[in-house]
Amino acid sequence: MEATAPLADTDLRTDEELITAVVGGEVDSFEELIVRYQPRIFGMARKYFRNESDVEDVVQTIFTKTYQKLGSFNHTAPFEHWFMRLSVNTCYDALRRKSKRHEQAITDVMFENETDDAWHNRLGSIPDPNDQEALDKASELVHTVLGQVSEKARIVLTLQELEGRSIKEIAEITGWSISLVKVQAFRARKEMRAAVERFLSREERL
Amino acid sequence: MPNQQRYINEAMNADETEQKILQLAKAIPADERVPSGFAMRVMSHVREIHTRETSQADEQFLRLARNIPANEHVPYAFEKRIMAHVRALLNENPFTIWSRMLWRAVAPCLGVMLLAIVLAFGRGDSNGTEPLATVDPPVEAPDQNAIDFETVLLASFDDLEYTW
Repeated sequence: MEATAPLADTDLRTDEELITAVVGGEVDSFEELIVRYQPRIFGMARKYFRNESDVEDVVQTIFTKTYQKLGSFNHTAPFEHWFMRLSVNTCYDALRRKSKRHEQAITDVMFENETDDAWHNRLGSIPDPNDQEALDKASELVHTVLGQVSEKARIVLTLQELEGRSIKEIAEITGWSISLVKVQAFRARKEMRAAVERFLSREERL
Repeated sequence: MPNQQRYINEAMNADETEQKILQLAKAIPADERVPSGFAMRVMSHVREIHTRETSQADEQFLRLARNIPANEHVPYAFEKRIMAHVRALLNENPFTIWSRMLWRAVAPCLGVMLLAIVLAFGRGDSNGTEPLATVDPPVEAPDQNAIDFETVLLASFDDLEYTW
């Protein structure tokens, strides 16, 4: 009889226990926190950044900051909330740095190697989840349009419209007041409308 | 009016009636009067359609964006890379930390220096006295230093005299 393979070496400690261990000097426990949260953080970062190297950089910064600031986590709220707040703020900072460094025009990436109405059709059609190429194209379109709005607007649009978070949740994550989030949400919607309009008018001219 | 009547009569009597009717139609001048505010009315309707289309495009865009599944793929052994980075932070050279702190201190030090200069000059002006930089320090007599130096230098020899 063949011996069964051993189960994967999973750490059953809670987030709070792991944090206490890391703060107490057991650095290796931090790896378990990374393993737990990295898929979600990669998923989040890819909503803000198109380039894979930018995604990896920002995820590395998020985890490094988390390690450095873990001592300031006071266990009053769940770690996940604290961590998401830090992650979103790090993405926001990275977006601001990136927009200063590199302004990308809407036409730079959008219309190369495309037929006249390909993008317009893509806007109206939901891509098949199994068609990776269609998903990549749709993702490129979304990044291109969202790349035209301000960083604040992008954060608010992503949290509110794409992730479906409430105003209160956004206020908690970003650290802004509820009224500021409402104002930003209104402006973000306006900016997005203008970006979509520019996109469509550009296409009509082609 | 008589002309028009004549045209009608001719048209009715002619063999090619249709042609005459067409001629008659051409003879009637086009009525180009425009109701007041008509352009505004049309434009408001056009804007309404435009807004509706744009908001539809918004919704289409958001629907598309929401339907792109989150890509949670993690590069191979990414956690090892982060851990290596974290350990590198732990084992950082103390001199590197010290030099980083010194560089960080440059800006506040410059600020304090500028503030001190401004305060020094400001105080000089407001009191109507001379600025601190121009006040001469009290000068000791040059001979006194030489005497002190000689005393210190020869102190040990003085002690030797007593023991002999």
